[in-house]
Amino acid sequence: MKGIKKYFKYDNVGILFALPAFIYMIVFVGYPIFYNFVLSFQDVTVKTLRSNVKDFVGFDNYIHLFTRDNVLTTSLWNTLFFTVVCIIFQFIVGFALALFFNRKFKFAKPVRGLLLLPWMIPMTVTGLIFKFMFSTDVGLINFILRSLGIIHHNIGWLTSTSTAMPAVIFANFWIGIPFNMILIATGLTTIPKELYESAAIDGANKFQTFRKITLPLLKPTMESVLILGFIYTFKVYDLVYVMTNGGPVNSTQLLSTYSYKLSFVMFKYSEGAAVANILFVILFIVSLIYLKFVYTEGEE
Amino acid sequence: MKKVISMLIVLTMLATLFVGCSSKKSETPASSENGTDATPTTVQSADATESPTDVASTASGDVTIWYYWETEGHQKALNQLVQEYNDSQSNIKVEAKYVPFADFKKQLSIGASANELPDLIIQDNPDTASYAQMGIFADLTGKFDVSTYYPGPVNSCTLDGKLYGVPFGSNDLLLYYNKDMLDKAGCKVPTTWDELLETAKKCTTDTVSGFAHSSVQNEEGTFNFLTWVWSAGATAYDINSEGGIKALTMVKNLVDSGAMTKEAINWTQGDTMNQFISGNLAMMINGTWQVPTMREQAPDLNWGVAAIPMDKQQASGLGGENYSVISGGNEAAAIEFMKYATQKEQCLFMMNAMGYISSDSTIAKDQFSGDDVYQAFVDEMQYANARGPLAEWPEVSDAISLAFNEVMTDASSPEDAAAKAQTTIDGIVK
Repeated sequence: MKGIKKYFKYDNVGILFALPAFIYMIVFVGYPIFYNFVLSFQDVTVKTLRSNVKDFVGFDNYIHLFTRDNVLTTSLWNTLFFTVVCIIFQFIVGFALALFFNRKFKFAKPVRGLLLLPWMIPMTVTGLIFKFMFSTDVGLINFILRSLGIIHHNIGWLTSTSTAMPAVIFANFWIGIPFNMILIATGLTTIPKELYESAAIDGANKFQTFRKITLPLLKPTMESVLILGFIYTFKVYDLVYVMTNGGPVNSTQLLSTYSYKLSFVMFKYSEGAAVANILFVILFIVSLIYLKFVYTEGEE
Repeated sequence: MKKVISMLIVLTMLATLFVGCSSKKSETPASSENGTDATPTTVQSADATESPTDVASTASGDVTIWYYWETEGHQKALNQLVQEYNDSQSNIKVEAKYVPFADFKKQLSIGASANELPDLIIQDNPDTASYAQMGIFADLTGKFDVSTYYPGPVNSCTLDGKLYGVPFGSNDLLLYYNKDMLDKAGCKVPTTWDELLETAKKCTTDTVSGFAHSSVQNEEGTFNFLTWVWSAGATAYDINSEGGIKALTMVKNLVDSGAMTKEAINWTQGDTMNQFISGNLAMMINGTWQVPTMREQAPDLNWGVAAIPMDKQQASGLGGENYSVISGGNEAAAIEFMKYATQKEQCLFMMNAMGYISSDSTIAKDQFSGDDVYQAFVDEMQYANARGPLAEWPEVSDAISLAFNEVMTDASSPEDAAAKAQTTIDGIVK
């Protein structure tokens, strides 16, 4: 009895509170992840989906994926490129907008609210809109570029292997701005006004206050935004599926779209699961790096 | 403790990765939205024995059908057929559910592993072999008479000598041409590849593209592209042959000369038809099923159909759907409904509403007498090649569609693309 009492002292009680959520996670999140790993080590195709005995093939699926053709390596690089480029642009523009709307001026709040729109529109809808806008002959983007005299012939944005990726990145960039903007804007409000006031009294200019006060105090927010942004962008699926379906010629094939294609178009369930696991492992590593950041900050 | 909490947070973030996968499992296909099939889902009560209409058959219960036609007219026709069947007897209650084509394979795969399948499905004919291989179809050999059906469609339902489906209806591809545009350019309807290239070039203007066929990197694109391969005397399994390379080169020439719009790699067959009736295309390859829509939406457009321009031999692609009964479902009742739906009157009703050709030769024979356009499609049926049947057809199809997409986007030469596709295909078909 004494032991139990001791056990439930203070923060240990927290375990009880966390237990329901934890069990939920094990059942609805842990199990699918586990099952997906098992699936990727078996040979499950259209022929064996319904049979009770499924061959264990070790790492064969992974080896096949890497050696059979270069689609996996292409989609791996595509995904990384897509993510990094999206994040850089989203972050810079989101940061700039956050600083801008942090100033007090008329309509700042309603306009900031309007800028949230891209985040609220379902991805598939955004995908369709951009698909129309990037269309070669009737697309708005070619029309604008032509009217401004920047181009003389229509560009086949989504039909050429070299321009499809930039087009998709642009669409995702547009979607991601509000996410970056809002989180950074929130971070900005947590910086005490007094710091800026005393800096002003000391005669610091705008650039100095930004570099010495805003940036250091925003560091934790910025890390969170970047890591969360990385995770969200790395697993984007619907936008690309709608706009290009991974084409033309795999030039926009991402790990997510490739995994779907293997599983539900070509019926190679195990290989699809293997690709999903590669995606999972990469994100898991990124998350660990994030945790490392959080810890070192806590200890400082 | 902090570590545990942090781990939970990480798991939560990662969880979003898999949420999509897990939630879809519970997702059942939406009931069709036409509102005509507000059938109660309760099981038919046992008083069915009182029914005087039912003497021979002992089949009863509910039958659920999955289908993927997105055209409203097609959905209405099927719902009407189902309604009439439900009214005609009281033992069997049929309900049709629409599952989007893009989700159809996924839903069936998930349904197969979770044992949540409908009783009857109407599916794309090249996929029938794959699903049959999955073991979800009942063997219909000896249970349904297909002796009067065309051999092509029946072949697509057959795997290892067993019948796993009944052809619903067929369609094939032809060249559609805009008469006014061809007249203006002073061209006749092309019959050979060279003529097609010439005519398409002449018809191409600033706003009009001379020619196109759906070239998306999936089954639809493969379906259209293969007509070139077959015409050049090759098959889908030997792309790296004289004929296969010739077909790829033909498409390359069409695209490079500007006669065929590159945009077609993003066009479904429906998109291609829309471009045609909007006057942006002078010629296209498309299927039988577009005729009703085109007649309804563009009654003033002056168009005609002709055989697809050929190289060595005349060739077209065979499309269409098959009925298949799910094994372990309400098999007897599903077969009963299928027998009803394939009778002459009911079959003709569906075929005409959908612009399909009946797969039953006795019905197709005089299905379209007096209608030149449809008659051309019926005549073309003898040149129509089937895809598969092969369980791994989706993989073969993917290799082929990748090849012509590579060529159309200048990513590789016809020879390289053909060689690469052949390696993939040889790896699948040994």
